[in-house]
Amino acid sequence: MKNKLSVMMFSWEYPPRVIGGISPHVFFLSKSLAEIGVKVYVVTCDFPGAPAHEVIDGVEVNRIDSYKNPAPDFATWVYMMNLNMQREAAAIVNKMDAKIDVFHVHDWLVATAGIGLKHVFRKPLLVTMHSTEIGRRDGLHTDTEKMIHETEAWLTYEAWKVICCSDYMVSHVKWAFGLPDDKLVKIPNGVNTSVYENPKKEDCEAFRAKFALPTEKIVLYVGRLVYEKGIHILINAVPRVLEKVDAKFIIVGSGYMKDQLLNIVRSMKLEHKVLFMGFVDDETLLRLQKCADVSVVPSLFEPFGIVALEAMAAKSPVVVSDTGGLSEIVNHDSTGFKAYPNNPDSLAWGITKILLDENYKEKIKKNAYKKVQEKYDWEKIADQTKQVYKIVLGEYSKSFWA
Amino acid sequence: MRVLIFSWEYPPRMVGQLAEYVSALSTQLVKNKIETYVITYHDSLTSIVKEANGVRVVRVANPVRTHIGVLTWDLTLNQEVERASANIYYQKGKHVDLIDVYDWHFIPAAVSLKNALDIPFIYSVESLEDHRSANANTPHNMSIKSIEWLGFYESEKVSVKSEWMRDEVVRIHNVPKEKVKVVSPSANSWMKDVLKLYRNIAKGGCNK
Repeated sequence: MKNKLSVMMFSWEYPPRVIGGISPHVFFLSKSLAEIGVKVYVVTCDFPGAPAHEVIDGVEVNRIDSYKNPAPDFATWVYMMNLNMQREAAAIVNKMDAKIDVFHVHDWLVATAGIGLKHVFRKPLLVTMHSTEIGRRDGLHTDTEKMIHETEAWLTYEAWKVICCSDYMVSHVKWAFGLPDDKLVKIPNGVNTSVYENPKKEDCEAFRAKFALPTEKIVLYVGRLVYEKGIHILINAVPRVLEKVDAKFIIVGSGYMKDQLLNIVRSMKLEHKVLFMGFVDDETLLRLQKCADVSVVPSLFEPFGIVALEAMAAKSPVVVSDTGGLSEIVNHDSTGFKAYPNNPDSLAWGITKILLDENYKEKIKKNAYKKVQEKYDWEKIADQTKQVYKIVLGEYSKSFWA
Repeated sequence: MRVLIFSWEYPPRMVGQLAEYVSALSTQLVKNKIETYVITYHDSLTSIVKEANGVRVVRVANPVRTHIGVLTWDLTLNQEVERASANIYYQKGKHVDLIDVYDWHFIPAAVSLKNALDIPFIYSVESLEDHRSANANTPHNMSIKSIEWLGFYESEKVSVKSEWMRDEVVRIHNVPKEKVKVVSPSANSWMKDVLKLYRNIAKGGCNK
């Protein structure tokens, strides 16, 4: 085997294309792997204005022609996009002098490309399961959901190892697909604390004046406006918080529940207290996270909870629902407040406590930042990932494929 | 010469008349000393089975059982076609001369194998989406047509059964006329034409 380990990473999103948490995950994982001497190729969907090929911090990024004709539905588009992805990746690998050692895919959205490439090149396939359909939908109700679930099952079957980013996800994935213990690996997700360290002192007063009155505290929600993220529970908690403390609720993100949520806010006559921002640029998001008085993650299903980690890195105190990966990230009353899931009263209690108790707030901010630096550092995560590659390649070298 | 034929129907699974044609073709190929593998769909998976006519058949099943349409069914079956083909390729000293693909269903697998392993393929046209669903231009039809287009674009040669179909392929998909060969099964020279086409591609092809 040649000396430098090489991996081809597949993701349907990679900056500047950002839809959810996979994009920053793959960005920082690739960059950090490159820093410790792994040759990383990223294959991802194209994006207006982004080049088809570029090298970012030593990572070779290839943006493929994602399927652009109208597709019958989202799932069919995913499989059509994978057809192009596999085709272009196959040509890239074929032209290399030294072939790729490992294919690493992220979620079912790039499943078929990864499975196909595994077999045509006979190289090991790894998958990071960021989420599952059965978890996102709280069950399998339609044929589309069943199909996606079965695609995930097939992907985990074909993978040499299945990486999950929390103990919760390890047990969830094991249950959902009936996987053996020795196939599952836990590697936490990471957060980049340096982006929150602005050399010049952030002027929060001027910035927050754009969104809130001087008397209002800022309560921040960042995430898609979808059922599993529990945003409707936060909206239901709004009047309960306002009984105790004056606040402005800033909602960043978009999703299919947006109109519904707007209607609820309107019916409560609280339009002046809840601000729906839609998507915002990175700079605005960073400043919002830094200047918010409290960040809330009210998810019903959360494999990991990267937004909570980001808030902790930005030194914004967090209120999370006690579920999934969030339960592991946050220690109650130490690095954040854990509310009962699906309970607006409990959520409002936590938000109010942080907004009114200055000592509690400061303690939580300090502890949370320390935990982020100790446990969720990308360098450590990249190192753990590299060790998994090495273990897999060791096993592979004894197989008849080698 | 080692040839893989991709067809979504093969006896005993008969959908239209393609199954019978591929059966007759592969039988004749074996008689002409061509090592012939047919990779086809069946509800349950098999290994490589040498049948009475000497044709080696692999039947692959879809690992995903629930579907919302023929496209998702197709696009999750192709990886199994790739797996079966790659197994033959690696077991046989990394050598397959060409793939002959019937209609659009297994074009994705042929395209991947070409780009990954330099195995050239012939796109053999039985029918086109434009004829099957005349005047229909829904996203569903367009997706199938785009797979057909990819097949025309990536293939080494296109094989059709009539002059009329050659004109249609040229008209609908803007394929250069010289890329399209007419191989008529009713002509006396049928097998000779097939072998000539195969030999041209196996010789030149895009093999290293």
